[in-house]
Amino acid sequence: MVPVEWYLILASAVFCIGLFGVLTRRDALYFLMSVELMMNAANINLVAFALYYGDLTGQVFALFVIALAAAEVAIGIGIILVLYRNFGETDVTVPTEMRW
Amino acid sequence: MVDQLPQWAALAPVLALAATGLLLLLIDAIKPSARSNTSMAVTSALGALVSLALTVWFVVAGTGHEDTGGAIYLFADAIKVDTMALFFTAIFASVTALVVVAAHDYFHDHESPAEFYSLVLFSATGMALLAVANSLAVVFVALEMVSLPSYALVGFLKKNRGSVEASLKYFLVGAVSSAIFVFGISLVYAATGSLILSDVAEGIETVDGLAGVAGAGIVMMIGGVAFKTASVPFHFWAPEAYEGAPAPVSAYLSSASKAAGFVVAFRVFTEAFPIGASISAGIDWVLAFGILAVVTMTLGNFAAAVQENVKRMLAYSSVGHAGYALIGLAAISAGGSSNDAVMGAAMAHLLVYGFMNTGAFLFVAMAERWGVGRTFADYAGLAKRAPIACVAMAVFMFSLAGLPPFAGFFSKYFLFMGAIDNGFVWLAAVGAINSVISLYYYSRIVKAMFLDDPSSESALDAVDVRPTGLYGAVIFAAVATVLLLPGFGPVIETAEAAAAALF
Repeated sequence: MVPVEWYLILASAVFCIGLFGVLTRRDALYFLMSVELMMNAANINLVAFALYYGDLTGQVFALFVIALAAAEVAIGIGIILVLYRNFGETDVTVPTEMRW
Repeated sequence: MVDQLPQWAALAPVLALAATGLLLLLIDAIKPSARSNTSMAVTSALGALVSLALTVWFVVAGTGHEDTGGAIYLFADAIKVDTMALFFTAIFASVTALVVVAAHDYFHDHESPAEFYSLVLFSATGMALLAVANSLAVVFVALEMVSLPSYALVGFLKKNRGSVEASLKYFLVGAVSSAIFVFGISLVYAATGSLILSDVAEGIETVDGLAGVAGAGIVMMIGGVAFKTASVPFHFWAPEAYEGAPAPVSAYLSSASKAAGFVVAFRVFTEAFPIGASISAGIDWVLAFGILAVVTMTLGNFAAAVQENVKRMLAYSSVGHAGYALIGLAAISAGGSSNDAVMGAAMAHLLVYGFMNTGAFLFVAMAERWGVGRTFADYAGLAKRAPIACVAMAVFMFSLAGLPPFAGFFSKYFLFMGAIDNGFVWLAAVGAINSVISLYYYSRIVKAMFLDDPSSESALDAVDVRPTGLYGAVIFAAVATVLLLPGFGPVIETAEAAAAALF
């Protein structure tokens, strides 16, 4: 069986890839995908440690996280659609109506 | 009478909010063509008031209090109804009631205001659920239930570029911070093997080899809390979102949503990560909150001082107030004698803040409804045209600044005294200095309204409409801010009893 620490390393790597995408991508859709990666990194941890501890809490919570991530994407796509209608782009650096 | 009810009835305030949200959707589905703004607003206000009445009844009857059998646990310990949960539910329900009444006038010419009311009610349901959450799973689900409707609410004026931009920025920061929060939860689960708060606390005591994992998880959870409360380092969204959003939504987010962030912080950090065990495992989250509190107060107040736009000034002032409330977590110590006093004072401050800050944002909503403009200069001479509303606004401003005859003074006084009693003089000192700075920009707006002359004769002609709902909400908030002065005794006692149950 694969030692549980390896799952931690895998999850951290996936999380960091997602965070890198969030910080560097300018397109809102890529941004959403990167956030999904970060959430799925959490799911890897939850499922791996549910197996390690032998209880189902982590696995059930992972299902909750998947459902919530889907809901978040639904809202996100809606906002990006309105963004596109108003600004004609999905680039997150374009809307700068407000400045301090 | 309360003790004859079944156990699940303790959730009645949450269920009342959820049922109202569903009822609004039902009304909208049955009669979508009718001009439903008024009936929607009345229904949602009634729902919020029913929830508030139930909450106050439960507090008075002592539901979940130690004297009447202790906290009520439901759904295999995932839900815990105690005095703190009821205290915060009262804040959420009051702010919701004020906001929906004000929104009735604000959205008077909107095409489809019906969704607004159901989104507000669903978000309020999430907040009330957050207050009773006793498991990290429920915390995350409820947090998302608060956030998702909020993103849509900020962008509710979907043809207004400012509103859309605000919604996008709020969503981007919110999505990242909730991903960080859930990754933090997964690390805590990895280190302790449980999601129920009390079991996590036991896991922290025996964490040994995985202390680093637990520490990283706790730091990430602090990040999630900082987003919800608009504290540094996740405060960037706040000025943009509050300025771009419709003003009733800004009022709702800056009062209720912020309090929701604090209720989860208070419960999770005191119950799941007990101070003594955390520090002996090398995880000093109290110090982390101390640094955040100082930076948040200072940054919020200095940034507010240089604003020309009133709504943006209020947004930064709301960041500053998050810093004050963070003292409630930053000035506690293992076995500290005044732990309950300082955390109770932070809760009382959030209650007072719920009224005075909602009122201030609703005054801005009224100014937007009149169309007088957004800067300090545009508010010049308003008191001559709308004296009652301006007196109410002056009450909010002085109470926010913490001047002696207002409720805001007492909550801050108890907060700083609690911090001093617990040995955190430096936190109280930074807070007091910041309060003095804040007086500058709060009094600027009072000066503009009462002393300055309008920029031109016709500048204020728009102030002819008298939006009844908005007026009522602003004046009710002002009356509540003043009445909390004699009523402060019971409030602080309830809050301290609620806080004492946590330690």
